[in-house]
Amino acid sequence: MKDRYYLGVDVGSASSKAVIINQKKEIIKTSVIQMGTGTSGPKSVIDNVFADTGLTLGDIKLTVGTGYGRNSLKFADKQISEISCHAKGINYELKNARTVLDIGGQDVKAISINESGMVLNFYMNDKCAAGTGRFLEVMARILGVKIDELEKLDESSKNPVTVSSTCTVFAESEVISLLSQETKIEDITRGIHNSIVTRALALLYKTNMEEDFTLTGGVAQNKGVIRALERALNKKIYVAKKPQLIGAIGAAIFAYEAGEERG
Amino acid sequence: MEINNIIDYLVKSADFPGKTIKESCKKNNKEAVGCVAPYAPEEIVYAANCIPVGIWGGQVELTKARTYLPAFACSIMQSIMEYEIRGTYDFLKAVLIPAVCDTLKCFGQKWKGTSEAIPFVFPQNREAKSAEAFLESEYKYIKNKLEEILGITITEKALQDSIILYNDYRAEMRKFVEIASVHTDVITPVIRHKIIKSSYFMDKKDYLEYIKELNKKLRLLPANNSKNKRIIVTGIMLEPDGIIEYFEKYGMDIVGDDLTHESRQFRTDAPFSGSALNSLAKRWTNHNACSLAFDPYKERIQYLVDLANHYKADGLVIALMKFCDPEEYDVPLIMERMKKENIPLLVIEIDQQAKSFEQINTRLLSFAENM
Ligand code: SF4
Repeated sequence: MKDRYYLGVDVGSASSKAVIINQKKEIIKTSVIQMGTGTSGPKSVIDNVFADTGLTLGDIKLTVGTGYGRNSLKFADKQISEISCHAKGINYELKNARTVLDIGGQDVKAISINESGMVLNFYMNDKCAAGTGRFLEVMARILGVKIDELEKLDESSKNPVTVSSTCTVFAESEVISLLSQETKIEDITRGIHNSIVTRALALLYKTNMEEDFTLTGGVAQNKGVIRALERALNKKIYVAKKPQLIGAIGAAIFAYEAGEERG
Repeated sequence: MEINNIIDYLVKSADFPGKTIKESCKKNNKEAVGCVAPYAPEEIVYAANCIPVGIWGGQVELTKARTYLPAFACSIMQSIMEYEIRGTYDFLKAVLIPAVCDTLKCFGQKWKGTSEAIPFVFPQNREAKSAEAFLESEYKYIKNKLEEILGITITEKALQDSIILYNDYRAEMRKFVEIASVHTDVITPVIRHKIIKSSYFMDKKDYLEYIKELNKKLRLLPANNSKNKRIIVTGIMLEPDGIIEYFEKYGMDIVGDDLTHESRQFRTDAPFSGSALNSLAKRWTNHNACSLAFDPYKERIQYLVDLANHYKADGLVIALMKFCDPEEYDVPLIMERMKKENIPLLVIEIDQQAKSFEQINTRLLSFAENM
């Protein structure tokens, strides 16, 4: 019998992700492009995910689109919200996850899920970049470092400072004045990570706070943020293996469920 | 009139408020008087042979409003301020501004339009004996002011007639929302909203006739067996229309509401009492379970649970007006209770200035998927 394939595509504000799985729910190929909705990112991620697989879009039985730019994926059979997809995706990877914190490019979401990956309730940030991936980008730029250098800097902080968690623009001027006072860049970095977590906690506390806690989204690649969250919650935080891909994995699983159930 | 014609007429009336008001005034040979947001004693305005016009802001870009209001004033007052500076309301003979919250208290003192402002205060502790007497004297002040501005006398008979008409209108509206909840194929969320909204721009006498006819016709239709999710909405108002369209897109019917802009307007009648103004004052002291009226036992929370049960709702949506503190204070209490009752709850933020609703779109889609 011929193999059946399913595609999940997550077009976010800052990046595009795609995952192909087969009828055994095995991941065949994944791709991440650091360009989001409104750019060539969605197209490139599709080209990329099919490259070297011998497959084309025509071999895909069903496609589910998710993320901020989900409506631009005209070829998708279905659009599902990123909240449902993250829940589904994390359940595929970490069966015991019950509370998921997803920190993406411009959104933060705290999601309570059940044992089958269904969303029980969810809370999202207000319209503000504070506490999101975009916030980290802005801060890294002011500090004059690359975004992936932040976690290393954070490690050597001895006297972390406080950075505003209410507004990205305020935080930006705060950081500039800290720099001019010659505050150590490591301590500012730790302050920035704590600020992200403070913002996320406000959402997390609204959930049932059930363990296991899991972190997903692009920002979960930053160990400084993970450590800040563990300090604040005093709990172990599980991080998805490829945190940025969880939404796309969830979308692929939804496609799989629809396709296999339909037969 | 056919049911579709009635609906079309009311929807258009809501879509073009300026035109509707003008036509209503002309047809009935009346002037228009504005009522800023909730709970003005429209009956007094009506008894002054004027059409009370609801002022609830709108989707407008702010250019001048921020000169007079802090950035954290609620979104609806920001739009009203913008419109009043632009002169949108200058055709009104007067504008009633109730102080139900801190924002409105200050707002009444700095009206920028050319029509005369009549600010007045609602007593918050409605259990105190003096509350009724106080409000009656506020209403007397409104009556005197209107008489002075319009050069007329408002008789007791006119006031009583006006109360009777308004009580009839409120009763008919309560029937409408009830009947509409089983005809959501015809009365979709957008249509429901617009039908209720159109009442703010028409002579209540004419409006009542349309609603009576609509109710009669709706009753004759077979109840629809929609598979859609049944939703209750609470808050100040659910607008812009773009948001309500998502409800339709994601298969959610609005079967009941606790919105100040909608059902809260016709929930409480003016009871019979010796004098007309006293009846009207009693209407406020009897008005319960509302974030804008001091509610020490938080009856609103139980009211929402009852409403959800009554309409067999699948979920509750709080349409939270941006920076409306009376509403914001209630949110954690509602959340806690709904969790206990196992009623799915979603909070969306209403910002009249917003043009894109992507975040709300995602929230509503996820809510619909997971209910
Ligand atoms: S929306 Fe809230 S804060 Fe604004 S005027 Fe109305 S009650 Fe007051």
